[in-house]
Order: sequence, then C-alpha cells, then structure tokens
Amino acid sequence: MKNSVLTGACALLLLASASSIQAIAPVSIAVFPPDVNMQSARGKQRIIVQASYADGITRDVTAQAKVTISDPKIAKIVNLEVLPVGDGKCSIAVEFEGKTTQVPVDVKDAIKDRPISFKLDVMPIFLRNGCNQGGCHGAARGKDGFRLSLFGFDPDGDHYRLTRELNGRRINLAIPEESLLVEKSIGKVPHTGGQKFAVGEQYYNDLVRWVDAGGPQDPAGIATPVSVDLFPKTALLDGKGSTQQLIVRAKYSDGSERDVTSLALFLSSNDSSGKVSPNGLVTAGDRGEAFVMARFSTFTVGVPFIVLPKDLKFSFPPTPEKNYIDTLVNAKLKNLRIAPSATCSDEVFLRRIFIDLTGMLPSVEEYKTFMANKSADKREQLVKDLMERKEFSELWVLKWAELLQIRSSNQVSYKATLLYYNWLQDRIARNVPLNQWVQELLGANGGTFNNPVTNYYQNETDILKVTENVAQVFMGMRIQCAQCHNHPFDRWTMDDYYGFAAFFTQIGRKGTDDPRELVVFNSGSGEINHPLGGRRMAPKYLGGETPDVVGKDRRGLMAEWLASPKNPYFATNLSNMVWTHFFGLGIINEVDDVRVSNPPSNSELLQELGKKFTEYNYDFKRLVKDIVLSNSYQLSTQTNPSNESDTKNFSHSSIRRIKAETFLDCISQVTETKNKFPGLPLGARAVQIADGQVSNYFLTTFGRATRESVCSCEVKLDPTLSQSLHLLNGDATTQRITQGNLIGKLLKDKKTPEEILDEIYVRCLSRMPSADEKTKVLALVNAEKDKKQVLEDAFWAVLNTREYMFNH
Amino acid sequence: MKIFLSRFFLMSIAVLALASSLKAASPNLGGIAPRGWQRGTEVELTFTGARLTDAKELLFYRKGIETTKMTVVSDTQLKAMVKISPEAGLGEYGVRVRTATGISELRTFYVGALPVIDEKEPNSEFATPQKIAMNVTVHGVANNEDADYFLVEAKKGERISAEVEGMRLGTIVFDPFVAIFNMKRFELSARDDSPLTGQDCFASIVAPEDGTYVVLVRESAYGGNGNATYRLHIGNFPRPTGVFPSGGKAGEEIEVTYLGDPAGSIKQKIKLPAALDPEFRIFPQDAKGICPSGIRFGLSNFPNTFEVEPNDTPDKATLVNFPSSFNGIIEKNGDVDCFRFKGVKGQVVDIRCAARKNGSPLDPVMTLAIAGGANVATNDDSGGTDSYFRATLDDKEYILTVTDHLKKGGFDYTYRVDFSPIQGTTLVAIPKVAQYSQDRQTISVPKGNRFATMMTVQRRDLAGDLKLIAEKLPPGVTISVDAVSTGIDSFAVVFEATKDAPVAGSLSEIKALPADPKLACNTEFNTNAELTFGSPGQSIYWRYNMPTLGVAVTEESPFSIQVIEPKVPLVQNGSMNLKVVVQRKEGFKGPITVIPVYSPPGVGTIAAITIAENQTEGLFAITANAGARIKNWKTALLANASTPTGVVWASSQLFNLEIAAPFITATIERSAIEQGKTSEILCKITQTTPFEGKAKLELVGLPLKVTAAPVEIDAKTKEILVKVEIDKTSPVGNHKNIVCSAVITKNGEAIVHTLGKTDIRIDVPAAPKVVASAPATPGKPAVVAAPVAEKRLSRLEKLRLEQEEREKAQKSTPTPQKK
Repeated sequence: MKNSVLTGACALLLLASASSIQAIAPVSIAVFPPDVNMQSARGKQRIIVQASYADGITRDVTAQAKVTISDPKIAKIVNLEVLPVGDGKCSIAVEFEGKTTQVPVDVKDAIKDRPISFKLDVMPIFLRNGCNQGGCHGAARGKDGFRLSLFGFDPDGDHYRLTRELNGRRINLAIPEESLLVEKSIGKVPHTGGQKFAVGEQYYNDLVRWVDAGGPQDPAGIATPVSVDLFPKTALLDGKGSTQQLIVRAKYSDGSERDVTSLALFLSSNDSSGKVSPNGLVTAGDRGEAFVMARFSTFTVGVPFIVLPKDLKFSFPPTPEKNYIDTLVNAKLKNLRIAPSATCSDEVFLRRIFIDLTGMLPSVEEYKTFMANKSADKREQLVKDLMERKEFSELWVLKWAELLQIRSSNQVSYKATLLYYNWLQDRIARNVPLNQWVQELLGANGGTFNNPVTNYYQNETDILKVTENVAQVFMGMRIQCAQCHNHPFDRWTMDDYYGFAAFFTQIGRKGTDDPRELVVFNSGSGEINHPLGGRRMAPKYLGGETPDVVGKDRRGLMAEWLASPKNPYFATNLSNMVWTHFFGLGIINEVDDVRVSNPPSNSELLQELGKKFTEYNYDFKRLVKDIVLSNSYQLSTQTNPSNESDTKNFSHSSIRRIKAETFLDCISQVTETKNKFPGLPLGARAVQIADGQVSNYFLTTFGRATRESVCSCEVKLDPTLSQSLHLLNGDATTQRITQGNLIGKLLKDKKTPEEILDEIYVRCLSRMPSADEKTKVLALVNAEKDKKQVLEDAFWAVLNTREYMFNH
Repeated sequence: MKIFLSRFFLMSIAVLALASSLKAASPNLGGIAPRGWQRGTEVELTFTGARLTDAKELLFYRKGIETTKMTVVSDTQLKAMVKISPEAGLGEYGVRVRTATGISELRTFYVGALPVIDEKEPNSEFATPQKIAMNVTVHGVANNEDADYFLVEAKKGERISAEVEGMRLGTIVFDPFVAIFNMKRFELSARDDSPLTGQDCFASIVAPEDGTYVVLVRESAYGGNGNATYRLHIGNFPRPTGVFPSGGKAGEEIEVTYLGDPAGSIKQKIKLPAALDPEFRIFPQDAKGICPSGIRFGLSNFPNTFEVEPNDTPDKATLVNFPSSFNGIIEKNGDVDCFRFKGVKGQVVDIRCAARKNGSPLDPVMTLAIAGGANVATNDDSGGTDSYFRATLDDKEYILTVTDHLKKGGFDYTYRVDFSPIQGTTLVAIPKVAQYSQDRQTISVPKGNRFATMMTVQRRDLAGDLKLIAEKLPPGVTISVDAVSTGIDSFAVVFEATKDAPVAGSLSEIKALPADPKLACNTEFNTNAELTFGSPGQSIYWRYNMPTLGVAVTEESPFSIQVIEPKVPLVQNGSMNLKVVVQRKEGFKGPITVIPVYSPPGVGTIAAITIAENQTEGLFAITANAGARIKNWKTALLANASTPTGVVWASSQLFNLEIAAPFITATIERSAIEQGKTSEILCKITQTTPFEGKAKLELVGLPLKVTAAPVEIDAKTKEILVKVEIDKTSPVGNHKNIVCSAVITKNGEAIVHTLGKTDIRIDVPAAPKVVASAPATPGKPAVVAAPVAEKRLSRLEKLRLEQEEREKAQKSTPTPQKK
C-alpha cells in the first residue's frame, strides 16, 4: 500500500517535470572523456558535455557549455578539441546552467612527433572506410584483384599485400600521392568502391605519409589497443531531431591513449530511432531504442539510446513490485515511458504456470482447488508445489538434453545415450548446483558407460566444434566467426578462439572391452596452432586469463573457470536461458547469441539475475522461483496503448506457442490417451524421450529439436500450415478423442452436456466457458440426438483453438 | 482329430521317404533348448535346425556331458538325453551335431549348479513379481521394454546373490541389468556391466532383515526382444568382485582371497593345474554355494611376490626377487605401485600386466625404468586393455611401475605382472570364408574322397620350415600338406578318407611344429565361432574359441574331382588353365562348382567355374603376376554341388603348381600409324630359359579393326616385326595396354606368357601435300621390302627424316605462290 502511494507520487512528479522540461535546470552535467591524456604532438582529444535532467532525459550541451583551460601553456581548445601545447598537467573547467565540473589533463611529449604506424594509423583507415569489409577487399578472394584481411584480422598479411605482393603496383614510394592505393581511395582512378575520402583529409594525409615514409612495417612490439571506450555511456533523447555526439577513445598496451573518433566505425541497431553519422553524431528519430556501436581495431563497444517523443506526457501506473526483477523491469519501462499491463487473472496464471513449470495442464481438480483457495499467497503455494514435482525436473532435463545433444548415432549407442540422459536427470532431480555438474561434465574422464557424462566428448570429437559448442552452450557465445577471422561484431579474435580451443586439444579417446564404449581421458599431449603464422596457442580462457596448464588436465582447469564467478558470462547466460523459458524471449535474444552488438534489452536486470544466481550458489530452482513469483512474469498478455508495440521489455506477457513435446503431452493429458515411443514404456511422456534420434510425425511437425547442433534455434516454435492441418485432420486430435473416449466416460457418469462442456473447457483452457460459448454449443447439443458426437466435436474444436495451442 | 493324425502321418512318411532316398549334406544347427541345466542331472535337449535326420553324435568341446539317447523328431528337430556329470565344470559348453553327412555349426549350452525353473509372466511390475525359491536358476526372456521381477525370501544376514548370463549365451546382443530391491523399492545392489562378466551382470547383498526381496532383470537400455533369453541364478552363493592374488605358480596349491563379497572376504585353497592353461578359471565357493561363473586365474612357472605399501614412488619400491610374478592392488585413486628387481644381463622377456583379462576393473599402465635412470618401456593397451612390452634386461636394478590409466583405484583393482622368456610359438587357424559365418570351419570328408581347406599359421619368435600335424583324426583319415617355409603364412591342406573309413567324427588336434625337432615351440590351434555381433560396425560380442578341429568322415559324396597336374610351370606374368576332371556317381548329373582353396602369393584365379550338368571336365583359369613367388607350390581345388538336401563338398588332390620365371621377355616398340595404313611393330626378345621348337607370338588388346597376324619365333630370335593393319575406320587416338602373348609348348602343354606393354597411336591420314610431285619417300619402300636385318627407324628418326624431306622438297621445288 505504502509502495503504491509512493509510486503515485513519483508519477505526479514525473508528469510535472515532463511538461516543463526545458525550463528546469539539469540535475547534473558530465564531461567525456572523464580525463584527457595526450602523448606526442599529434595528440588531440575531443570532449563532449552531457546534461542530465530529473526525468532522465539527457542533452548534448557541448556547444552551450562554457569550457576553460586552467593552463594555456599545457593545452588549448580548438573547435571542442583539446590540443597539446606543453608537457605537464592542468584541468578543464566546464560550466553549464550553473552546474560545473572539471576534467584533468595530462600532456606528455607535447612537441615530439610520433612516427607513422601501419597498424595504428593505416589499418584503421581500411576499417573505417569499409575497404576490408566482406563485400569489398575483405572477401576471401579479395575484390578486383586486391585482397585485405576481413576487418583487418591479419595486418601483417595486409602489409605484405600492399608492399610486396605486386611489386611497384599498389604503392609508389617515389611519388606517394600517385600510389594506386591513394588514387583509388580518392577516386582519381576508377574504383568500384567509389571515392572513399578526399585529398587533404586526415585519411589521405596519413596514407600518403605512410607511403612517403617508405611503407614501413611496424617494429615488433608496437603498442596494440587493449580497450576502447565509447562516450557518453547512456543517452535518453527527447524528441525527433535531438542529437548527441559520440567520442571514442582507445587505450594502448604501452599505456597511451588516443582519440580515435575519426577512425572508429559507427553502427546503429535501429536507424529509425537513432541514426548515427560516420563521424559519430546520433540523431534521434522515432520513439524507440537504438544501440549505437563503435568498432575500432578488434573492439566493438556500444551505448544504448532511448528516444522519446518530444514532451511526452506519461505517468507510470501503480504496479506491484514483488522482487528485484520487478524493480529493474519497471525502471526500464519508466525510462521508456511504457506502462506495464495489469497482473493476469488466477485462471490465466494457473494455466501459464502449469505449462511453464511442469509441461502439463492443470487437472479439473487442481483448477477447482486453486480457484477455491482464498489465501493471499496461493500463487506462491502453487509454485512451491509444482517445483517439487518430477515433471518440473523432467522439463529441464529435456532442455539440457537438447543443449548437450543427447542423441544416439552410428557411433553412439542407445545405451550410452540412455545412461547419459539418466546422469543428467539425476543431477537435475537432485538439484545439484549447476556449476558443479557443468564442471563435472566439461572435465569428464572415464568410460562412456562407466561415467556416462563423458558422452559429451563422444558426441562431438572435433576440437574446434567442441570449442564452439562449449562457448555457445555455457557462455552463449557464437565464436565460429573467429575460426577464420576476428569476429566482426564482437570482441573475439582468432587469438581468443584458438586460445580457448587449446583447452580441448588433449582429449584422449580409446576403446575398451565393450565395443560400444569409449574411454575419454586426458592424453596430456596435443596442441593447436594459429592458422596465421602457425604460432602454438597457449590455453586462454575466453575473455579471461592464460592459466598455467603445465602437467594439468586442461579441461579440468577450463571447467573450473567456466562454471564459476570468475567467468562473467556463465551466470548471466544461464539466467538468461532460464528467463527465456518463462518469457519466451531472452533479455539477450537469442539466448546463445551473446555479443557486443546484440546487447541485453535490460542490462541491469540481466546482471542482477546473474548476481543472484551466483549468490544462490547456482541453485537454479531459486532463480526460477524469483522469476515466476515476480509480477513481471504474472503480467497479462492484454496490452495498453503504451506497451502494445513493446516486444522486448517485458511490459506485458507474450503469447507463446507451446513446445512440441509439451504440446503432445498436453493433448495426451486432456484426451486421456497414451503415447508410445521407441525405448520407452507405453504411456511415457514426450518430454521423457532420452534420445534425440527418437521422434514422431507430431513432434517433428511441431519443431522438436533434432539435437544435431547446440543451437537454441533447433527448437522451432513458429506456427506452420502443416501444424494446423495436422491438428485439424491428423491423428493428434480426432483419433485421440475417440481413443480416450472422455466424453463417453463422462456421459456414462451421467454428466449433463453443460457439465461436460465445463469439463472440456477447464481441462483444455483452464477456464469456464463464457456464457456466449455455452449458449452456442448447448444449442447445437440440444438440436442433435447423438449428444456424444456433438460434444466430441466441441472437444475437437477446443483442441483446435489458438487459445489451446498457445501459452498465454 | 482323426483327420489331423492321418495328415500328420502322411506328412511324416513323405519326409522320411525323402530323407532316406537322398544323401543329406552338412546339417544346420539353429538353437538348443533349454539353454542350460543343473549338473549331476539328466535333461532332454532339443536341437533345432535343418538336415538333422541322420544325426549320429553330439560333439562337445568340454568333458562332463554324456549323450544317453538321441531321437530324430524330424529333419529340423533332434532330441537328445544328456547326462551331466556332478563333476562337470560350470559354465559354457560348445557343441555340434555330427550327422552321417557332416558337422553342424557350433552352439553353446550352459552347465550350472542350481536347479532350473522357467520365468512366468506376468512379472513385469514391481507389484507382481514371480515368487521363487532361493538357489535356483531362472530361464527367462527380456522382451522389448520388459522388466522381470522375482520375489525371494531371506533371513537377516543371509546372502542374496543374483547373476545373469545373457550376452554369454551367445544368442543375440543382449546386455542385461540386474538389481536387488527391498520391499520399499529401495535399490540395495544393482549392476549393469562388470569386468568379470562383460556385458552380463551380478548383484549381491546380505539381507538386512528377515523378509522378502525383489530381483529385477531387464535389458540395460530396455531394448530386449523375444530372443533375449537369460539364465538368472539366484541363491546364497558367494559373488565376489575380485580375487587376490589373481594367479599363481602352476602345479602348486595356493590360498586366494575373494574380495568384494557382501558377506566379507572369503579365503579358499586351490590346487593349480600343472599345465599353463590360459583359460584356467577358479570358482568362488563356500558352504552356501558356488559362484556360477569363474574368475580367470593366471598361471606361470614362477612363484608369486607381493607389493608392500607404501610403494608409491621408486624410492619406496617393493623389493622383489626375479624371476617371479608380481602381484598387487591399486587400492585407491591415484595409487601407484612400484617394484624393484635385479635384471639378468642379456635376458629378453615378455612382460605382461594382467588385470582386465582376469576381471579386474584396473586399466593398467605399466612402466619399466632403470632404477634412478631412464625409462625402458611404457605401455597402456598393447595386451588388449592390459599392458604388455618386451624388454632386454641388463645386469641392473629396475623399477617396474603399475598404475591405472585414469588414475582410479579400489579394493578389487588387482593385477599381476608376469615375465616370460622368449619362446617360439605357432598359432594355426582356418580363415573365415564368409563374415559372421561358421561355414567350412569344420572338415567333413566323404568316404573315399577328399576335402580341402586353407589354413593359416602365425609365428612368433620362430623361423624355419614348419610341418603341420593332425592328431586324433577319425580312423581312415589322413592329411596331405606341404612343408610351410619361412615367410609363408597360409597353405592348403587336403583331408582324405579311405573308402572303408567308418562314418565317425572327432575333435582333432592340429599343430604346426618346427621341422627341426631341436627347436622348442608352443603350438596352438584356434578357431572361433562368432556367435553374436552388432553395432558399432558389426562388432563381435560373443565368440566361442575352439582349440580343436571338428573332423568327420561322412557318407559317400555323389561326385569326386581331380586336377590333372600341370607338367609345365606357370610363369610370372603368365596364365594357365588347370584341367579339372569330375567323376560322377551313377545318377548324379547336376552342375558342379569349382572354387580355389589357396592361391600362392602373386597368383590369381577365377572366382569359380561351373562344370555343367552331365559334363565331366572343366578348365580353371589361373594367372601369375610379375611378383609371384618362384617355388613349387602345392594347392587344391574345392568343388560343391547342390543336392536336394543341401550342398555337398569334395576336393581335388593336393597337386603341384610350379611358379617359374618367364622363358622369354620382350619389349614392343611404340608406334604411330595412320588410318587405313599397314605398318610393322618391332618386338625385341630376350631369351632367358631355352625352349625347343617354335613359340607363337601374338599382339593382344589391339584397338578396334586393327589386325596383326601371329608370328613364330624360336630360341634364337632376338627381334621380330609384327605386321599390323589399320582399318580406315579404326578409332583415332592413343591406345594403351597392348601386350604380346607368347605360347611356348613343352611336354605337350602350353606355357602362356604375357610380354611387353606398348601404345599404338592411330592418326588421321595427313592431308595430301600441296606439292603433288614431291619425291617419293626414299625410305618407305625400303622398309616394306627391306629384310629384317636393315636398320629400322624409330618414330623420332622417322619424324626427323620426314622433316628433312619436306625441307628438301621446298628447296628443290619453287613455291606455287611465286608462280
């Protein structure tokens, strides 16, 4: 109660502020970068000033702010750029609308020139100007007879191709300006890519300067970028046409820093909301979100932009906040000026939670009991009950069986598959902390029968595939790109890829007494070399350190790191996976497509879920409980004007097609019929199928994962025509209705048609028929002599409704 | 009922009439029921198969079972009463049915210590188990997704052991699982596979309280079917998981400790056999009973020595005498056992670590190092899952280390390291003629006839000629076989029965011993029946190894064959037709198929020939390649014919086949000829072995519509021209693989050589020259008319000449343009 009063008050305040936004002074101003460090006479640093207002709106006020330098002997400001004057330290004072702040400035070697560098100065020009894109010279075979490495993954190779591959053609040391490289770039000679820049521009000058210097290769050990920052860190733009300048600063391995705004490549995930110019100026468009990124060297960094209609009037409705999830979801919604839907009804909740937690529908008795329960915490009680059921763990065994590709083949016997499945089932049923069993899995040694978890390394024997699978399943990363070139939209380089692969090079496999069994062991030898130059790669955690592996089981080390808080991706990725199950949409979507350029829709929420999951000692049941007990999970699917177009901020519940196995089980459940799958007893549920190889027409049609890859895309949830036709005409409905003879049994029990109709509705849809539905169906029943036939037809019709096929 | 009886009667008569009028071929044996029985009792066994009408005998590969009565029920069924001696060894017995006309496949039968009862459905639910008495063997079937539950009663402290023979029955690939539950469904003991019993399993508990217990048997992945038969032994018998030590000195009495029995360790004294039997097993036994399956137990000529913990590092190594057999247990995860011993200079020894072989869970890795020095050898799996290497010892201290491959350990991770001096060995076998089949793995020799087989011999540490010896053959049977010289690993053996040899059978001993009686040699015969196989890649899951060869004298065959021994050699790169003569018994007219038995290295033969109905002769083509080994070989051909009751076999005699170097060799010049022209091809002959008379030479493999007449040469010919006529339509292009066939006649038989190899290029005729009056080619008529002695021009020389002529002609004749 107190909460809602407070929320209401805040809303009023918001309303007030929104109307008079321009008149009110900012609550703070920030200057980026937060410090200015320049080395050499070529140093420069552009600065931006961002003002933040009480309602979260930000404005680029660089032009309006008053900027003064404390010591003109150290630095000066020309066109919003800080330039070096002399060595030493000073500061920049910035004032805007009464708010002030200071930025320290440190200048070294102010009068010393820095020699031109191929890697630091020339390579970024190719990236910025698109020369080494896949469609241009970055193609595997190059373009028009000239090849550059894709996005510059091989600078040494590029240097060779420019200077040595065709002697005297690409660069002209005598007359640098007449180098083909330069002339093509400025369009002086025909160039398929057209003119990239003009004479006198920075890029032109740098290229010419490099050729003039003799096209030198960089000395060994030249500084390499170690991190890249994009400023500002966040922006909430008020109305179409408002702008925000971005700046990019790179830090190098020698400690130096450079303003690389002019060398970075800018991209926006949503041009209609936030379009970014090649020079990094973001212009607000339609209401929405845009993730604006800058790519420099091997780094991609991004900033989330929110664009609101100008002077939007909005009040956030009173919304219950049951736990941290609601707080964080609502915080984002408030920023977006989106009002969440109302909390769903008990009937809707009952059906939703049953399907999500157990893969079953509530029985008529369960429906009645729940509806009759008057206690305030009845939803909590239900969740607690359902999570104790065997069906709960079975659903998650299925999920993991898909990701671990539990599947028999010519190489993998059904027995091995079953033992592997049982191993997984045991871990999940006993609620063994996820990190523990993941460590057990990745570090597994032994026979595939004796220690079935070693099947993980029998199913996939290719070192690179294993590497990619581990990254994709447990960290949500698709690092495949980096096998051949640095990842174009993520941070992963070939060094990262092969460094991670080096953990999987010492997997020994040998036969044993049973021809079906394979013994997986640490062979203690085997290395992997970098495809460029053949360097032996030391094992390096993906995005982590290079551990000492001498005399140790490399997989053991990797497993210990991967499934621990040391790996920042593990907890968040698994939390996201769990979240996706309940919302039908990941905070990062797809769940196994974590990359810089695919940011979480609510980063704070994802981080918090990961943090909680780690705090819970990877007890995923607790995480599930947090999620399903949150108000966000329990929102209605009914939208309001402010959230009807929202598809990714969880402002309303989504309508989700039920997964193939669960759907078939639900049909069996309501029709009281039994399934028969190979290798399982009659009446087994589809979610219990151990072997990915086993399927039937229904499951295949409804998109059951074949477990041929680890991709989350294996499970297909798109509705198709053949699914509808199968439900209309196939054996899944009509035959099952006849087989189960539910109507016959109910009629035999002397139930009236009305009671039977109620039963059908409650069984299938967890609700009573509406008065309209009842009237119409009963009219038909009364008109017909064969009551059973009509009621079975009604049953069939309900099974074919979208309401039945979807979880909502 | 009456009608049925009469019909059945008529049918029986028909079957009997058919059977008596025809001679049956080798019988076929599909299965034996029941799959096992209790020793010390008598049981009627039913053999099902085909061609069993004339059954004479059951040939058991082990002692202990005696046939008391045989009744032929039909051609497909045979009943036999067998008496199993109370002293009969437990476990698997291989058996074949011998009929008057052959020997069947091998099938197996199990002997147990407990009375047998049958499984009765419904027992597929925990709630509806089949109640059985303690100490019985249940014969059951694990159907698809079937679970069989059995209820037994036990007093507190009573041992309940359950062991399943499933895969070991050799019926199908059937991997059983067994578990013992209390009535609260709590699993007290369960096991799937075990190193002691392979895919088969056992479970054993001591009853925690008086009451009933449930034993479950199922296929481990619920994949049984109607053929998944099993024998479940349930009783109070001991069921340990290992034994220590796992071997001892042959001929001595030894006390062993059985480990892992739920009632605690069991000590047992055992008198070991004097011979080094690699299949020797010991059976855990106490007052409560005997374990259904034995544990393989190593025998050696040296006494046992034992590890003394702690011996995890070389400096703490257990000091042992050498030679001896080292025994130890890798007791816990990460345990390493080190032994220190003093070697003998120059001694070469085979060092084997036996663990998995004897049913230990240990997967040993064994290392030999000089104390304080370098490693001499290390091995994981050269002995199957066990370790093996050979080492030459010095007069130094050595450290031998044993550990588990996965650094695991346990109380029953026993092992034994045996040292054996190097001794020559031979291993004789009959190679399989068809995959997964027992075809022609036994010998059936018709009276007064022959049967041939190929055999192989593997030698180790032995050189020199070997002689093959067959002992315990049925009366009247002899073998013919050539001496097996070094480098030969396969050969033909012909078994021959005299006309008056009685119809009888035996399990014969086959040995390959050095011709030099001074050489010591262990010889072994081993052939196996592959009984079950399955994925992956048709792996063999159960086989029965046989140290003896089933040989039978059968009723006469309707035909016999003979090869007319060639009087001339088969030369390298040559070919020959062997003449096969058939003698048919009166009334037998059917076609006869002749196949090779053994081809010497480098010799190829036709896969089979058929001597048509009523015919008595056939030609069997054989060829030798350039590398065929020059030697006087002996081989035989095998023939079969279909009779209404099956296939009947007989072989030729063992005949000589000499492989010799070619008498002549030749090189044939390459040539280019235009369509519609005639030319000559030069063959240069090298004489290596003088021959008499004339030899006929012919070009073979000529392109279409190219003809060359045969020419004759004698022992002095060094060069010969073969005239070749090219038709106008002969195909243009380079034609390869044209050879010369030379037939030399000796002793009235042909020695066919294939010589040389050349190309002929056929060109389109050149367009008529512009200068019509160009002088005629001076060389050309000379070649046509020239005697052989005149120098022939090579193709290159001809081209040069042509060019010269062209140039000359251009100089001498004014060009038309200038006109």
